[in-house]
Amino acid sequence: MNPIPLHHFLAVGAILFALGAIGFLARRNLIVMFLCAEMMLQGVAINLVAFARYRGNLEGQAFTLFILTVAACEAAIALALILMLYKSRGSLDVSLWQELREPGQEPTIDEEPLPPPQREEPLPKLTPAGPEPHHHEEPSHV
Amino acid sequence: MFLKTAIDTLQDSVPRDCGAFLPELVLCTGIVVLLLLRLFSAFDRWHLGWLALGFTGIALAAAYDQWFGGIDWIPTPEQFRAEAGSADLFSRMLVYDYFTVFLRLFLLTFALLIIWLSLLTGIPDREDSADFYTLILGATVGMSVMASTNHLLMMFIGIEMASLPSYALAGYLKGRRQSSEAALKYVVYGGGAAGVMLYGISLLAGRFGTAYLPELGAAYVASVGQGAAGFDPILLLGTLFVMIGIGFKLAAVPFHFWCPDVFEGASAEVAGFLSVASKGAALALLARVALALGGIRTLTTGAPPVMNPMVHYLVPTLAVFAILTATFGNLAAFYQNNLKRLLAYSTIAHAGYMMMGLATLRGEGVRAVLFYLIAYLLMNLGAFAIVAFLRNQTGSEDLADYRGLVRRSPWMVITLCIFLLSLLGVPPLAGFVAKFQIFAALLKGAQDYATAAPTLSTWLIVTLVLGGINSVVSAVYYVKVMKTMILDERVEDVEGKEPVRLREPVPSVAFAVVLAGAVAVFLAFWSPLQKAGDQVAPLVKQSDRIAKGSQP
Repeated sequence: MNPIPLHHFLAVGAILFALGAIGFLARRNLIVMFLCAEMMLQGVAINLVAFARYRGNLEGQAFTLFILTVAACEAAIALALILMLYKSRGSLDVSLWQELREPGQEPTIDEEPLPPPQREEPLPKLTPAGPEPHHHEEPSHV
Repeated sequence: MFLKTAIDTLQDSVPRDCGAFLPELVLCTGIVVLLLLRLFSAFDRWHLGWLALGFTGIALAAAYDQWFGGIDWIPTPEQFRAEAGSADLFSRMLVYDYFTVFLRLFLLTFALLIIWLSLLTGIPDREDSADFYTLILGATVGMSVMASTNHLLMMFIGIEMASLPSYALAGYLKGRRQSSEAALKYVVYGGGAAGVMLYGISLLAGRFGTAYLPELGAAYVASVGQGAAGFDPILLLGTLFVMIGIGFKLAAVPFHFWCPDVFEGASAEVAGFLSVASKGAALALLARVALALGGIRTLTTGAPPVMNPMVHYLVPTLAVFAILTATFGNLAAFYQNNLKRLLAYSTIAHAGYMMMGLATLRGEGVRAVLFYLIAYLLMNLGAFAIVAFLRNQTGSEDLADYRGLVRRSPWMVITLCIFLLSLLGVPPLAGFVAKFQIFAALLKGAQDYATAAPTLSTWLIVTLVLGGINSVVSAVYYVKVMKTMILDERVEDVEGKEPVRLREPVPSVAFAVVLAGAVAVFLAFWSPLQKAGDQVAPLVKQSDRIAKGSQP
């Protein structure tokens, strides 16, 4: 059986990292931005574990454990903050937060509006459950 | 068998290492105690700032003892090295030398001052005091780890330990939208920068199979020493990404964009904390990494010069970033009309000056930076403290509301002027002494490199000239603030209201006057600080050995 060579792992790590970075820069939804930042970290974790396997030691795994811990702390702070921001503006759109900027600079307004929120399909209505209807005793056919 | 030896070594080393790590351990105890007290409703009526002050004081005393020696079970770096055989702590994760202890003293003194300041301005009220001081102490522990890092993993953890509390501190004024926005921007940019830096770390650690900084430095030298044949895109990309992470913490141009927004949105106390402590720790980290990679060598003493090939790349890179940072900070500060934002750009510019010192990659440069950090602590903390005091009275940080303030609040305005003049670098104030040291180090570096590497010498001379021009340019905005406060008509006269003299509480005035006095007589501490800088020299010698490829 051929072992998978190192550069395959590194390619996957790089792709994950790049996707995360692109999403981080391009998205406007706060939560999605943070998911993308986490995705960058996953790319890093793949890199580290691949290198550790290549070199036959466990340093990469140890490194990864620490990264996961720190990422969890960061996510905790970020999500708490996002919750606070959502309560104050009622939206997760990051472009609503532009009060702090250089003097004389106009806020960046996106020409393209966000897609309209999808109307939720009403849940199918079931007939309300009541007492079990009275069954006529059927005569046995046997 | 292997496990048994490992455990034995651990049993030997951990108690000794804990003595060297004592200040941080004291701070950690402080954090736990503060959090536990939060559980009891009886303590809700207490302002826990005094407790935080006490723990920081004990930690500072421990660090003081580490520098001067005295108590047996707290080793000085020298004793530690004699006993353990190396300066490494906790299986090579941290390093314990005079540079570490110097930065600890710096950070703990600053934490003490900032807690005192927060007690005076009353930014955390009684109920929230436990949270606020937990965050301050936690960030201080992280910064101190950053300053003593010896391993890429600890570099990342230190940066995160310092950053996470800072994010929460930036958003501490919960009611204010601007504060939330500042925290949001800080978290978003910080998270992105951490991801990028980690990718760089994974590339470097994977490429060389080690994340231990001295070994990494030797590996760099071996790789770069081969010339064009040794060109390695992974190496380049990894270094670039790690530098982005450090540059972000340092708010070096072009990774500075978070800094003005965060400073404007956060309260002035927090902005002061971030501007001094965070920047000091980031500079210390940059110094460690740059010295580990670039390795200073003494060109002067008799031995035939062995040029570390990394020097040819690191000196121009650091010089370019330093020039960019200083110039951009000074130019952008000119257009600001919010005092905190103006001070944020001034902070960026000062980080640029300090990076100029590091760009020499020599002992003199590092010593000048340590010198600069002390002066910078005094004057920048002073400036932010006055902004906080005046905010408590006028409720505003806009420059427009500072018009003619000298007639309403003379003590505050005059001390603020001293701090601004010092930031500008007017002799004989602290800022002048510090800048003088940096420029002298640049000149000395240029002379020393002159024979072995004329190009580097030119780079340093260019940096020196541009640094001088920058100092002059910065006069424009500092003087503008002073003119607004002293010469302009009072706001009340313009608006036709009755001018009210502002209250100047005695403790606040005392705080400002003590700092201003320290800034004024800083010149007197020249030689003791110089001596302290010389004591940091073992760091320089150590990296010297590494540069030559021998084992530390």
